[in-house]
Amino acid sequence: MPVLKEMIDVITMKSDRPVRRLVAYYAIVAVVVFGLAYFFPLQIARIAAKGLGDVPEGPTVLTDALSSSPTASVSFGPGSLPDVALTTVLILIGALVLILPVTWVYMSARPSGGQHNQNVVQTLIFLPIVVAGIVFIVQNSLALAFSLAGVVGAVRFRTTLRDSRDLVYVFLAIVVGFSAGVQSLAVGAVISIIFNFVLIVTWHYDYGRNMLMPTASAQWSRPLQALASPTGDHQIPDRDLILSLTPENAAALADRFSRVQKAVGSKKKKPRFDSILTVTTDKVPEAQVQLEEVLEAMTKRWSLDEIVTNTGKPSEIYYLMRLKKSVPRDLLLTAIHENAEGLIASADVETGAQVEDDKGKKDKTDGVKA
Amino acid sequence: MTSRRWLVVLLCAMPWVAACRDTPKAKASELQKLAETRKKELERRIAAADVHPDTSLPIAMWMMPSQLREISGLAPTSRGTVLTHDDNSGRISEIDPRTGILVKSFSLLGNQKQDFEAIAIAGNDIFLMASDGKLFKFREGADGQQVSFIMFDPGLSKQCEFEGLAYEADTKRLVMACKRLLDKLAPKEVLLYRMPFPLNRATITALKVPLQDVIGSNKWTKFRPSDITIDPITKNYVIVASQEKGLLVMTPDGDVVRSGPLPGDHQQAEGVAITNDSILLISDEANVNPAAITLYKWRP
Repeated sequence: MPVLKEMIDVITMKSDRPVRRLVAYYAIVAVVVFGLAYFFPLQIARIAAKGLGDVPEGPTVLTDALSSSPTASVSFGPGSLPDVALTTVLILIGALVLILPVTWVYMSARPSGGQHNQNVVQTLIFLPIVVAGIVFIVQNSLALAFSLAGVVGAVRFRTTLRDSRDLVYVFLAIVVGFSAGVQSLAVGAVISIIFNFVLIVTWHYDYGRNMLMPTASAQWSRPLQALASPTGDHQIPDRDLILSLTPENAAALADRFSRVQKAVGSKKKKPRFDSILTVTTDKVPEAQVQLEEVLEAMTKRWSLDEIVTNTGKPSEIYYLMRLKKSVPRDLLLTAIHENAEGLIASADVETGAQVEDDKGKKDKTDGVKA
Repeated sequence: MTSRRWLVVLLCAMPWVAACRDTPKAKASELQKLAETRKKELERRIAAADVHPDTSLPIAMWMMPSQLREISGLAPTSRGTVLTHDDNSGRISEIDPRTGILVKSFSLLGNQKQDFEAIAIAGNDIFLMASDGKLFKFREGADGQQVSFIMFDPGLSKQCEFEGLAYEADTKRLVMACKRLLDKLAPKEVLLYRMPFPLNRATITALKVPLQDVIGSNKWTKFRPSDITIDPITKNYVIVASQEKGLLVMTPDGDVVRSGPLPGDHQQAEGVAITNDSILLISDEANVNPAAITLYKWRP
């Protein structure tokens, strides 16, 4: 494995981008397969596309049941012992080679902050090997298939997967195993390559993000209000908090809230910040310069909250800010896009509860006037 | 291990790997050597069988690969090989019975799925027969090729369930053996249909042999042919019956020459052929034992 990693590093010039590393891996595999196909064309043809139909298999040596001489037994051909052993080894290695990049994609392409499940990773590696072995034994034998169904029926294989996407990886592992088992690794290779690239691209562009999803502030405002109600009418009783928090949890939360309190400001004043600017970019320092120019000109105050550096997809910059009443959200976003053109991938402004309340009051007044 | 060391190991391994190159040419050469050895061994066994009085001793038994698990008809070629096929698919395999080498396989276009029961060669044409009597005519194909075919229906599906087919070169006609008469009131007899070329429903004739003549002194109650072939020397019809485990030799006029048990032990004899050098081949479907073609010294 270190050798493989080293080779991938050489080809990709130590790039961390998953697409480049995947392309490099498949390039290395292609070279090895072409090399093997040159030296062992019959073997490679047999495991790559045998299950696809009637392919020429060439002469086959049959066994003479009446003789025990070495020439009577099959020295080569699909039924010979060394040949079956070699084919089995090749299909299992083939399945492993095809599933490895899938596990890398599984581990890398997680939603922000999401952790991969190590059990699933290991399952992804084992499953195609087992499936390939089963299918290789069963193929063309209805009797064996029924026996297998009986045996498997006795084994309980159920697990709850945290992320429904994990199931897709499991299905892919089964597909790769099947393709290896029926000696059609070419099909498995194409499926796994396309799967990996489609997955990397959807992850990179965060495809399918719900634009109507509630903003972070909207998600948190209600429970936080309930917790910090000045009337003392707490919906979450203190005794429940005492039971649910450890001293470490409580200390961590206290630290976090003191930091938030500093950012929010003192009790008698309005909150210091009422909006969050989220920007995704590949060029963090350059984008920062351009963004801060706009923020300086168009907000009452602003503060850099956090920079989340991502590998293989744009990094995220978060700013806390207090909008000027004269500057609506859309105007700010337009100015940001104009000033940082070519530097940022996306920008978004989330407004907090205070702004929403003010807006609600204004709408109400306008309605009365009308 | 550093990359440089890996490179050195790889370079050292290259000549060794290159020497093992599994090319079709290398394989053909190896195959040729094996074929020569096997031919010599078979000749030795035939010579031994010539002097042995027991004709029921096999001289070779070739085990069939999975694609011929339900092996059915046999048809000898002019090259000394036999063509055979699987019961359920239109995939034809050529086997050299002297070396036990499956030379090639080809299929009917579109991988036809029928209940194929028998095969016969008539000049350049090959005929595959389904159990309802339909004949699929085609030319020999290369390894892995799919060949086009013409289907001829003799219109006998309501009379018989067919299992045997042979080509009678002298009279240029196909002989179809009826396994089971579908008319329950039909007299007890062994029924063969003969179709001269060009194939035409109007020219089909029937040859009926009374069952008691066929049974003779055997303990059979029926005789249900599973394949038929022509003895290349005597031109007699040689018929095998799987269920009765019997063998019948009769003249083209319908006179029974002899009938008796099959040589050896056959679970399900589905095909029969006799080569020009008098080797009797009987194919058995996989049953308790795996599918096989068994060779005997043929004494007419």
